[in-house]
Amino acid sequence: MKKKSIWVFGDYRNYYQNRVTLQLIARAVDLAREISAEVCAVVVGHDLEEWIWEYTSHGADRILAIDHPTLTSYSTEHYLILMERLVRERDPEIILIGATDFGREFAPRLAKRLKTGLSADCVGLDITPDGLLVQTAPSFGGNMLAEIVTEHHRPQMATVRPGTFREIPHDNTRTSVVERLPLPAHLPAPRVRLVEYERAAQKEHTIENATVMVCGGRGMGNKKNFKKLDELARLLDGDVGATRPVVFSGWAGHDALVGQAGKHIKPKILFSFGISGAIQHTAGLGEADFIVAINKNPQATMMKMADVAVVADAGDWLNHLIRELKKRIRE
Amino acid sequence: MQLNPSMKHKLIRASTRSFAEAELAPIAAEIDQQRIFPRDVIEKMRELNYFGLQTPKAYGGAELDSASSAIVVEELSRVCAAVGLCVTVHNGVAVYPFLRFASARQKKIYLPKLASGSAIGAFSLTEANAGSDAGSVETTAVRQGSNYILNGTKIFVTNGGICDVALIFALTSSPEHKLQSSVFIVESKYPGFLRGEREDLCGMRANPVSSLFFEDCPVPEENLLGKLGDGMKIGLATLDNGRLGVAAQALGIAQGAMETAVKYARERQQFKKPIASLQTIQNYIADMATEIMAARLLLYRACDLKDAGMPFGCEASMAKLYCSSVASRVSSLAVQIHGGYGYSKEYDVERYFRDARVTEIYEGTSEIQRMVIARAILSQSIL
Amino acid sequence: MVTELPWDEETGTLRRDLAAGMMNPACKHAMEAALQLREKYGASITAITMGPPAAEEVLREALAMGADRAVLICDALLAGSDTYATSSILARAIQKEIPGCDLILCGAYTSDSETAQVGPQLAEELQVPSAAYAEHLEISGRTLRVRRLVDNFRETLEMECPALITVSMERYDPRYASFAGLNDAFAQTEISVLNAEALGITAAEREAYGSRTRVRRVFVRSAQKRNVVITGAAANAAAEFLDKYQRKISAVIGKSIETKKQAQT
Repeated sequence: MKKKSIWVFGDYRNYYQNRVTLQLIARAVDLAREISAEVCAVVVGHDLEEWIWEYTSHGADRILAIDHPTLTSYSTEHYLILMERLVRERDPEIILIGATDFGREFAPRLAKRLKTGLSADCVGLDITPDGLLVQTAPSFGGNMLAEIVTEHHRPQMATVRPGTFREIPHDNTRTSVVERLPLPAHLPAPRVRLVEYERAAQKEHTIENATVMVCGGRGMGNKKNFKKLDELARLLDGDVGATRPVVFSGWAGHDALVGQAGKHIKPKILFSFGISGAIQHTAGLGEADFIVAINKNPQATMMKMADVAVVADAGDWLNHLIRELKKRIRE
Repeated sequence: MQLNPSMKHKLIRASTRSFAEAELAPIAAEIDQQRIFPRDVIEKMRELNYFGLQTPKAYGGAELDSASSAIVVEELSRVCAAVGLCVTVHNGVAVYPFLRFASARQKKIYLPKLASGSAIGAFSLTEANAGSDAGSVETTAVRQGSNYILNGTKIFVTNGGICDVALIFALTSSPEHKLQSSVFIVESKYPGFLRGEREDLCGMRANPVSSLFFEDCPVPEENLLGKLGDGMKIGLATLDNGRLGVAAQALGIAQGAMETAVKYARERQQFKKPIASLQTIQNYIADMATEIMAARLLLYRACDLKDAGMPFGCEASMAKLYCSSVASRVSSLAVQIHGGYGYSKEYDVERYFRDARVTEIYEGTSEIQRMVIARAILSQSIL
Repeated sequence: MVTELPWDEETGTLRRDLAAGMMNPACKHAMEAALQLREKYGASITAITMGPPAAEEVLREALAMGADRAVLICDALLAGSDTYATSSILARAIQKEIPGCDLILCGAYTSDSETAQVGPQLAEELQVPSAAYAEHLEISGRTLRVRRLVDNFRETLEMECPALITVSMERYDPRYASFAGLNDAFAQTEISVLNAEALGITAAEREAYGSRTRVRRVFVRSAQKRNVVITGAAANAAAEFLDKYQRKISAVIGKSIETKKQAQT
């Protein structure tokens, strides 16, 4: 009997997209174990050796690669044609695609061509013993989660929110079966022509749309310590926010005030240094995905709201974190 | 009996709310504290017919019904009562008398400008010695050739600092040399039309409320609104309509204050739980919501009467009396729920509290409203 | 112009945030793009949506903004459709009601993840060229030129009409409907209402038009955080923290944070 296969689509155009592909390979490895399947990464483009090697060393059992100069730039249409053919030939059980901008345009169209179901922007994936993929996706504006299944159609498809799963650490002793497939003859010219493209400049941050926020309270001790938050924010491409007492103490301007009377933020990651968590501040936090609080007092409200609560002097820990990050960050 | 809002009314509310939240909410506190009239937002509102709410399409208005007009003023005031005031005074007491009493020629000249908001209107009755007692107006208009010459001082003129066209109540003398009041359409560009300092008021601070001075100001005789001596008739009819607008404004203030307080009560923790879980606070919230609902229905009832062409003066006074007292009570409770923070300018709720207070005073004080209502009730032979 | 409604299957009502108006914000941007194209090139705009009778409100709003016509697909048989089914039904309605239309605009990509899939799937169903996240549209002859930003790449694409475009929220800030427009939207225009039968869709055709996915369970996102507590000397705690969470942070900021070999020894 043919071995069941879980596919991960190789989205690699920038660092972020590459990371989610690796995260999906890691999750696919877990799922594959449950149903005795193999994990297959599909990668389409030109000069793909780097990706073949990367997917292998991060856990893929098999790589399907179509490498051709025609495919040098991303083309949703070409990728659709090639993927549809591969899927029809090989019948995978599951296809996982990163919920990047590309993935969220590509996956719905592929699902439609394959006449199968698709869930969007999943934040959890599980599998039943008989191979039904349980896709957990935000629903009703993100306040609720829905468990979605595709019962009667195959493959089962999901796009997955980046950062949901942890990639398997790189191991270059891993091996995979690499199938280098030819570009099919008579690949039609795409109806959508790419006239030009360039990497965009980084978007300007504002506090309200910042993905990373570094907030500080009176627990920073003094203005000089507080100013060091700027450096952490710079390292993480984030912005600095402040509580009401800090603004009143003149350590930060009113523009930085986060809370009921100030800005409302909704970062993906929030660092909260020396903040007790009075409602005047926390009401402005929206739903931060991941909160790290640093406070000497483990009983502080902010520490209880946090995903990670670091019991330490906020100023002191900040210095160590900055030092450690500078060693590790590669721009 | 239809008490549910129609799809159109819902859409008008949603549309106004999205405008107010996007354009006014970010600046409402600042323009209040700095006393800034937000000209750029007003510019956007011009194109969206905010200044021609009930003006017929023929003159470039939106031709809305009275309930729609009330909803618009309510939603603006829910976010920024000072801008709500500008709109309701313009539509309710400056444009409305044109619709009711102006000649075809006057309509043709002034309504398109007023409906597009390229001219902002004001209505000016109040003087130092003429408030609730409208008969004591001292401004005079003396016939001289084809003009009337105006002399006098008007105070507390809403939109006074920016108006292009003002309706001025002045004393005229009848052919029999009897003094009577009449209404004149006065353009701000006329010589002798002078504006005073802006009033430094407790609330509605973003509205340029100011005095107007008339020093030998010549007004062409064709700018007499209605007939000579029609002042009292025009004034009373206009105030009936204006009261609907102030009621809507007060309702919006109450609604905004309540929403602010409810949000705060859910968030504020005392005794290790949100204060919204305390029965005292829940009682406050229940009272606020109930009174607001009752106020709203009373106002819409008066609007319905007006649109049906029925007398609505008594109901307009009831709506104005009740909505304004609800606004004061609710905004005061909203401050109470906020505790010390409610007394700080950092929070919106104190602005609602200040803005609410004047709704019990202008467009006829609560005492005058009670007089109007009582007269209407006592004059009915059967209750 | 296709609008997608936030619609609550449990209560059978439209979920709406009154502050944002009736129409999905993403769809408003698409509507604005349609209006600007009409101003520049001349066109007739039809707004189409699928939902319960109350969805008429969304179409009235589109008319108030300036749409020429509006079509509502409304049938209990179609309730609870997933994006697969919705796009199939919309395609059929478009072919029937607006045959020969040149350009279909949909809202793209909102923070609300429910709304990103119908547009691309509708393009497949109609077999027209398509692009998502458009920030600027130009037409010369039959050629549509699209500028867009995807995954931090700025692209310019060209395709021939008919085409389907999803419009980004970054540009085409929607205009407010004027009150005169709102009044006219109720006074002057009839909305065409189509049911499943009018579209030739029967219960027996579930295979072709039916949903592919099923929602097994809906639950409230747990507010309970895991709350990992880190203690110990600050120097070690910072390193320990990064060892555990640097991948998460790295994925968010798009910079590599890696423990260097010498740091480990």
